[in-house]
This record gives sequence, C-alpha cells and structure tokens, in this order.
Amino acid sequence: MTDQRPLAGLIRRPIATIIDFLLIPLFGFILMLVSGAMEHAEAYAGNQLFIRPLLLGISSYVLVNGWLLYSRGQTLGKAIMGVTILSEKTGEKASILSLLIRSLFFPTLYLTIPPLMGITSFFLPWIALMVVLDQMFIFGKNRQCLHDYLCGTIVVR
Amino acid sequence: MVGIILANINYRYYLPESFNGILCLYYLAAFSQNHKMGLNLSYSYRTFFSVCAAVIYMAAAAHAYGQCENTEKIPGLEKLYSQTWGTQFNGQRFQSSTNTSINAENAANLELQWVYGLSTQQPRSYPLVTEDTIFIGDGGRGLVALDKSNGCIRWENNELNDISTSIVSELVDGRRVLVFSGRNSGVYAVDASNGKVLWKKYVADDPVPMFSGSPIAYQDKVFVPISSMEIALSANPFYGCCTTSGGMAALDIATGALLWYRPTIEEPPKVTGRHYLFVEEYGPSGAPVWGAPMLDTKRGLLFYGTGQNYSRPATLTSDAIFAVHIETGKIAWVRQFTAKDAFNMSCTAAADHPNCPKPMGPDVDFGAPPLLITLKSGDDLLIAGQKSGDVYGINPDTGEAVWSTQFGRGGALGGVHWGIAANPDLGLVFIPISDVPALPSERDPAPGLFALNAEDGSVKWAVERQKKCEERGCWPGLSAAITAGPDIVIAGSLDSELMVYRAEDGELLWSFNSAKEFSSVNGLATNGGVFDAHGPMLADNQLIVSSGYGSFGQKGGNALLVFTVKEEKTHD
Repeated sequence: MTDQRPLAGLIRRPIATIIDFLLIPLFGFILMLVSGAMEHAEAYAGNQLFIRPLLLGISSYVLVNGWLLYSRGQTLGKAIMGVTILSEKTGEKASILSLLIRSLFFPTLYLTIPPLMGITSFFLPWIALMVVLDQMFIFGKNRQCLHDYLCGTIVVR
Repeated sequence: MVGIILANINYRYYLPESFNGILCLYYLAAFSQNHKMGLNLSYSYRTFFSVCAAVIYMAAAAHAYGQCENTEKIPGLEKLYSQTWGTQFNGQRFQSSTNTSINAENAANLELQWVYGLSTQQPRSYPLVTEDTIFIGDGGRGLVALDKSNGCIRWENNELNDISTSIVSELVDGRRVLVFSGRNSGVYAVDASNGKVLWKKYVADDPVPMFSGSPIAYQDKVFVPISSMEIALSANPFYGCCTTSGGMAALDIATGALLWYRPTIEEPPKVTGRHYLFVEEYGPSGAPVWGAPMLDTKRGLLFYGTGQNYSRPATLTSDAIFAVHIETGKIAWVRQFTAKDAFNMSCTAAADHPNCPKPMGPDVDFGAPPLLITLKSGDDLLIAGQKSGDVYGINPDTGEAVWSTQFGRGGALGGVHWGIAANPDLGLVFIPISDVPALPSERDPAPGLFALNAEDGSVKWAVERQKKCEERGCWPGLSAAITAGPDIVIAGSLDSELMVYRAEDGELLWSFNSAKEFSSVNGLATNGGVFDAHGPMLADNQLIVSSGYGSFGQKGGNALLVFTVKEEKTHD
C-alpha cells in the first residue's frame, strides 16, 4: 500500500454497508413505482419473473452509486461515512473493472435475509454462509473482506 | 453428508433408478474394492462410504417401492369410467349400475382396499379410471398410472408436475390420448399407453393465465377454461389491478392448435383510477372460468359458469352462465345471476386495500359446472349451483331461469363450491352446501346435503350437518364436488368425513373419518385431511377419493383412498 491514509474502521465500514443495504432497495422501490415495471401482468408472465426485479436492482445501484464510484471510488453509504475504495497495489483510485467486479458482491448481502433463505433453494443457506465468511475477513490484515482480496482493493478514510 | 444431500435430491426430484444404481455401485465398489482402485481408504473413510451407500440404497429402494413388478406396464384402455370433471359430458356426476356395483344395499360394507401416498398436501386431480388403471396427477411427482387392483405404478411422467384438473381422454387416430392442464404450465396431451407428451399448449391471450378448470376432450377438439393469476397478484398493493379476462379456448386435439378463443369480457380494459400517485387501476377485468365446462352433445353447446369481476366497472358477464357453440365459439346466450360482483384477493388482506373494489362484492362465482337433466316431460333442464347458495333451473335453449332455490348463507367458498350431482332415474339433483364463513354475511350458515326435485326445485330431503370440532379449518360444510351412484350419493366434508347417503331419503348408510395416518402402497408417509375440490369417483366395485386440501387454513393431506365392496360370488 502506497497511500498513507488510515484504513477505514470496523464501525464506519459496516455502517456504510448498512446505509447502502437500505438505500438501494428504497431507491429501487421508488424506481419500480415511478416506472411501473412491476405494475402489470406481463411482469409476472412465464418464467421471467426474476428479470424485472433484477434489472430494477441493477438500475437503482447504478443510479445511486454509479457516478460516485466512477468519480470518487465511493458508494453513497461510503461517501456519507467518509470512506473510499482504493487500489491495494497503487493506492490510487481503484480501476473501473475492479469496482465493477466488487459491486457484484453487494447483492449477495441480501441472500442473508432469513425469509429469503426460507423461500428459495436448498443451496441458498450455504451461499449466505459464504457471504458471512466474506465479511469475516475484515478482521484480517489491511481490514480487507474477501471481495477486497479478490478485487485487489482496500477501503480507507 | 454427500450421501444425505444426494438422497435428499433424489427424494425431491424423483431421479430415475439408474441414477441410484450407479451411485450404489460406486459406493459399494469404493467400500469393497478400495485397494484395487488404488484409493487405499482408511477405516473411517470406508465406514463413511458404507453409510453413504446405505442412505443412497434406502432412497433408491423408497423410490422403486410402489413400482409394478409382476403386472402389465401398459394400461388397459378399453373402458373409461368418466369423461369430464362432471363424470359424463352432461355433468351429472352420476354412475349407473353398469359402471358401479356400489349401491345402497352394500355401501355399509365398504372397506379400505389400498392407499396411495400422493406427493402433495393439496391434491386436485380428478382421476381417469379404466378397466385396470387409475390415471391421476400426483403433485410434484407428475402423472402416474396406477394399477387399479393394488396401486402399484405402471408408468409415471415426472415432468408433468403441476396437474390441477381432471384427466380426460379421447381417441386420436386410433391412439388413446390423455388430456389435462397444468395449473400454470398449460394444456397437455399425453399418450395413455406410456405417458409420453404428444403436445403442449400454453393458451396465452392472457399474460398470466391459470388453468384451474378441467378441460373436455370431445371428438377432434379440446375445450380449455381459462382463469387468471391476477386474482392473487392483486393482493400486491403496487400491482395495477386488473386487466385480464377469463375465457374458453378450443384446441385441435391432434396438434394443440388454437381453433377459437372466447373471452368472457370483450371490452378492453382502461385506466379507471390511480393510487400511490403512480399505480394505475384498470377495468373491466375478471369473470374467470375457473370451473369445468359441461358439454351438450345434442345441441352442440358448451355451458360454463364465470367468476366475479376483479375490478370495476363490473360487466354483464361475471357470475354468469355462458352457452357457446362448440364449432365456432359464438355465444348462444349469456345469463348473469349476480350483478356488480367485483372482488379479488386483496380484499382478504384488508377491505381498504387499494386494489379491493369499492364496494367490495360478495365473490359468488359459478365454480361448479352446470348439469343437464331430462325431465319427465322430455324437456331438458340446465341446473346450476352458485357460491351464493342459489340453485337455478335454466332453459338450456334460452338461458331463462325456470326456478330457483336458495340454501344457507353462501359466500366466497360456497354455497355450492365445486360440483353438484344428479340421479336422472329419480329426477333428483343433489346440492352440497359448504357455507364456510369466509366473508361477512347477514344470513346463518346451513352446511349440508340437499336433494331437489329437478322439475321445480322443491326440496325432497335435507341433511344438515352440525359442527363437531373446534380446530381452525374444521367445518361441517360440503365444499367438494359430490358423486351419485345408482341409488346413493357420496359426499366428503371439510371435517374430513366421507359419507354415503341413500339417494331417495338422505339416510346415512356409511361414513369414514380420514383425518389420520395411513400405510401407503408406495411407502410414502401418508395422512388424510379434509375432502375438497374434485371429490369422489365410482368405478366398478371401487370408490376412489383423495383426502386432504391444505388451502384456506384447511387440513391438508396426501392420501388417495381406494375403498371397495367385495364382489358377490355367484354359485354354479
């Protein structure tokens, strides 16, 4: 690590994640309401039921965090809590590709919600366990979660 | 662990025996030949593998259990004991003495012959019975052909796992074809000799159709009633209720091609309001055909009832009886019996739900198919029972109501719910009344069985049933369709009682409480529950009925019960 900025603390990071965890669905919900994406019978037809909620989730994530991530390496939650994602190797702003891959881990957080586990597949509890394991890595060196290791990122103040 | 997971997968998805066989061979080989295979397994690993092998073997054995071994795998297809949900095309649900030997003389001797464990707690498939086979939709297990004598499986098709209707049949180019609907997947035609799918049709005039009503197969056509999932989607307050219409489709029985489609609402839906600033409300909608139709081969007409509107404005075609020409789908007549009834599932969540129509209607569909009976004068009369508890005698040529009789309080779960029956020899129509107190009503419930004179609708006899249990979902009402024999009426209740009454006077001849566990021929844990939906079937010396229906808080169950009376032996 070349950057001398202090690592984000064990309180700021989870709070930033919780803020994102709550804000993204809320924005997605508003998006759903305004766009009418889930308002008509066509949204529930055939075996395509998951597609529109998925697109709504991606859209709300991009609309809320897209510009912040691109310009400052921050999600809205991280911006509120004053923490930033950097490249572990360069200490500079993380590359778009690594941020993109990193953001793929975000929706897996929702798999830990117990009701979701109850109504979905046999494998979901195991995936949820992996998500918890991912977060547990934060207690290691450089306070990197598993997804930070995989994407080569660190989170600093 | 691996063994347990695989056994679980096998149990859930009914993998073929070959899969189990390969696994068993692998594990047994690993156990006994590990040195030769170069695995050099330790004692603990060998123990582990042997436990896995045992688990897999047990799962394989459980699956194989119930398969026919010493009997013919190809079903006999010469004699059919039913043609529709209404047993005959005329919807009478009546078996004459040529089709059943069970009667008032021997009904008291009915005894359980065998029990098959279904793979659903909400069975809803009315079986098709032949001289030696029972075809039935077995929940997630799919379509099964059971040996009528002992319940072993002749063949099964595990892909057909949402069958929700009666199994009906017709000859197509000399081949016996089974036809039925999957609740959400569409209409199927299957080769009766081996269970292979010949065609599948998803009738998609509506984006979210529900195939809950039983089809009729007649000559070169299949008639398919269409309902809609919007009834349930409306419970989501962010759903813009509602745009779909019920309907009836006619398909080519050889190919599944659509021949005609008759919606119950011709008028396209329009925006009628808005809530939460953005969610647009639509109407008219609904008038689903969720029950089975009835076929009058003499007139070439199909008769069927409709449900309520899902949203306002209400139409003149909800809670109505349709008469439609089978060749063209053109309407002969439509007669509405309850006007301005608009209701959907959002109203069960809260009366002030934004999708609940204002004012909320009573939800008194026609779910039971009408039946046709010939009176002493030689005139035909159409008889229809409604969820309101009203029963109507209707002129089949004009739709004019000749008489009407009302029972009990009626309501969202009946009144008359799934099916009435008749005895043409006695000129009687039998009316099961459910009267589950599902929605508020000013009238008092009167659950029970009633016999009407078909001529004028007067009550010949009445058997009112009293509440005998306090558990939630235990109710003395008769919601399931009933069946008539030569001189008997068979009814199953929502308090899990199956009863045989004398047709002439309503005397109770025999009863059986099914709220218990059974030992099944296929080794599945099996319990009985309430009797609902399709009701009993009479064939030969057997009474066939599935027990359990875990909807609306009722007691579920997965028991296909087969009763019999011993054949009387003739002396030389």
